[in-house]
Amino acid sequence: MRNSSLAIASLLGAVLLNAQGGGRGNTAPANNPPPTSPVTGNAANGKNLFYAYGCYACHGYNGETGARPFVGRWGNLATEKGFIAFLRGRSNVAPLVPSTSMPNFSEASLPDKDAKDIYAYIRTFKSSAPPDVKDAPALNAILQAAKQQK
Amino acid sequence: MAKSQKTAVGRRGFLKGAAAGTAAFVTTTPFADAQAQSSRPQEGGTGAAPAPTQAQVDRDAGNVRPPAAASRAITRPGSDLMVQTVRDLGIEYVAANPGSSFEGLQESFINYGNPPNRIPEFITALHEESAITMAHGYAKAEGKPMLALLHGTIGIQHAAMSIYQAYYDRVPVLMIAGNDPDFIAAHTAHDMAGMVRSFTKWDNEPKTLDEALKAIQRAYNEAITPPMGPTLVVLSTELQKDNAPNAQVPAYKPPTFSTIDATRAKEIAKGLLDAQNPRIAVGRLRTPQGVKRAVELAELVGASTSTAATNGPMSFPQRHPLCGPGVDTNYDYTLGLEAPGAQASITGPALAKIVPQRDTINVGFGGISGGANGGGAGRGGRGGGRGAASATPIEADAEASLPLIIDQVKQQMTSGQKARMQDRSAKHATANHEARITALTQALEARKAGWNGTPISTARIYAELWPLIMNEDWCLASPSNFSGGHNTALWDHNKPYSYLGGQGAGGMGYGAPACVGAGLAAKARNRMVINIQTDGDLNYAPGVLWTATHHKLPMLTVMHNNRAWHQEYMFVEYMAGVRGRGGLNAHIGSTLRDPFIDYAKMAAGYGMASEGPITDPTKLSAALKRGVASVKRGDPYLIDVITQPR
Repeated sequence: MRNSSLAIASLLGAVLLNAQGGGRGNTAPANNPPPTSPVTGNAANGKNLFYAYGCYACHGYNGETGARPFVGRWGNLATEKGFIAFLRGRSNVAPLVPSTSMPNFSEASLPDKDAKDIYAYIRTFKSSAPPDVKDAPALNAILQAAKQQK
Repeated sequence: MAKSQKTAVGRRGFLKGAAAGTAAFVTTTPFADAQAQSSRPQEGGTGAAPAPTQAQVDRDAGNVRPPAAASRAITRPGSDLMVQTVRDLGIEYVAANPGSSFEGLQESFINYGNPPNRIPEFITALHEESAITMAHGYAKAEGKPMLALLHGTIGIQHAAMSIYQAYYDRVPVLMIAGNDPDFIAAHTAHDMAGMVRSFTKWDNEPKTLDEALKAIQRAYNEAITPPMGPTLVVLSTELQKDNAPNAQVPAYKPPTFSTIDATRAKEIAKGLLDAQNPRIAVGRLRTPQGVKRAVELAELVGASTSTAATNGPMSFPQRHPLCGPGVDTNYDYTLGLEAPGAQASITGPALAKIVPQRDTINVGFGGISGGANGGGAGRGGRGGGRGAASATPIEADAEASLPLIIDQVKQQMTSGQKARMQDRSAKHATANHEARITALTQALEARKAGWNGTPISTARIYAELWPLIMNEDWCLASPSNFSGGHNTALWDHNKPYSYLGGQGAGGMGYGAPACVGAGLAAKARNRMVINIQTDGDLNYAPGVLWTATHHKLPMLTVMHNNRAWHQEYMFVEYMAGVRGRGGLNAHIGSTLRDPFIDYAKMAAGYGMASEGPITDPTKLSAALKRGVASVKRGDPYLIDVITQPR
């Protein structure tokens, strides 16, 4: 029972990760252009909710870092409708081991209005990465030092 | 109980003996009064422990004047010989939070010898848990134990968590606990070591001074032989304080380490020499000497190697030309050294080996029993090749076995083979360098994410710091798993102590004291210790910041201050989600807010130079430069950096 639950959780995790656009921290940031779909929520309120609901715990304060960054790899977050469906459609299987997978947010626990406000806020996120490694002196110094090591 | 009373009689006998020479010492000392009035465990008693007597309270409060002794009754206390025994073992440091049960020993540590308080030097700890974890960090950095003193039952219990971590991490730690059966009853027990027996390797409570000195030597030997672990000697105050004018430190006999036999060494050497593409997978060895020998063997046979240097100490240098996938990943002979290997794997005994003798009450700590070699705190060391299954491990100490293999390789190697291996080594070096640059380029691309964001990305901390220390002799002594592990891809782990790895048993409160222990090792060796310090971890026993400052340890602490126990925050959020209750309350019990903790002020309170909090990534590099400069001057430094969660 325990093993099958874990297997299901693992499988769902993999499927849902793909649904989100994939990618954990320490993988190269994708360069998908930001979405242009309509936004109806209030970004200022969404900022507070992003913090209050702890979205930043997994996605970083700017959607770029952490366990599940999404800036540049928007996937199902490309539209407001897709975002809400994504929140609602998550697994509610409780694994026996702790999980950092995306939690389920039902309408009762996160109303559509709040979800739209959060969406409006995350749509303001932009990549803060320098265009090239050589544009960040520290990163460039690391690469140049390694090249000279031979 | 009977034992306690017996020992108490012994103490009284000692006092009577002393009276023969210095009657005034016995009859006028308030200490003697305290002894006479001391509460002892009640035979068969079921009530609460008796409260300390007024005399005991007075003594603890420092209100008791020392006797006006005309002459010293004790000319050569047993504790002097204990210290000499420790000194002869080459133990550099003894860490302790003071306790009356080892006052005799402490007095010898700080006053005996010429010069006193050197080898070992007495290190002031603010908590026994810190003292043990200092020893844990020191041993991982140096490959040898230091000593920690524990005060009776209470000191051992304070230390228990750290002892448990060192045990899981198979790290040698030498411990002495004082036992004063005549002072405060609650601080004594008839089997004091029993409290930690299930997670120590060996313990002893000697009855004579000679036994005590031998027990210290035995405890040292047991600690450093695989499976390495913490060992404990319980020493009564009587043995510490008794006069011992004629006693001698027993001759020390080093331990023997189990090795593979000559036949097996021949086979392995032949396998490595005959192979077209041999591979050596190196896990965690015992000492820096073992690392040197692993390098010697790899260079002799021209084998590509894998390393566990990004998981912990004492493994193959990560940027050695032979370390990497090599020119060809189809390996036809893989030798594992404290690691799996397809054709041969030499692996020292696991903790499961000692469990039957030590865990007699069957606590049954998880993850120790089971597996081909008894499980228990694996030492990394994968990398035998894709899909490679490991040969049945040969139970022997890999480090001690290496000289046998090296000798056999030298004997069997032909001139033709030598030339072939040199050629292969050169090809490996080129391939590994190319692989390194490819991997690093990808890693740097990944670490660009969030580079200019606020709060500061964890990757930026590691990336900004590395150019500042890459030409220094450094040791990353804090676990890096919670702060992204960016060192594994960006930094070069080329020394046996470059990265000391995780906590052992995953217990928090490890990072700072382990870094202080590594700092002790670093101080005399012109090395600096880096501590990327998670905030939750520091709050267990932050007093170690004072210890680092007091002893002027070369330690740079950079806070990974995400204001939470973030992994738990994520876990609770998920749990709330699957139960349909949302994440609004997930911060309760998992975050450090309202108020935020000011770590720069905390450090300043302990006397450590500090700055922060820093939230602007453009100000990070300059702060790190100031920190490195301070540490190079000999002053530890803390920078509070507000970071992204992970």
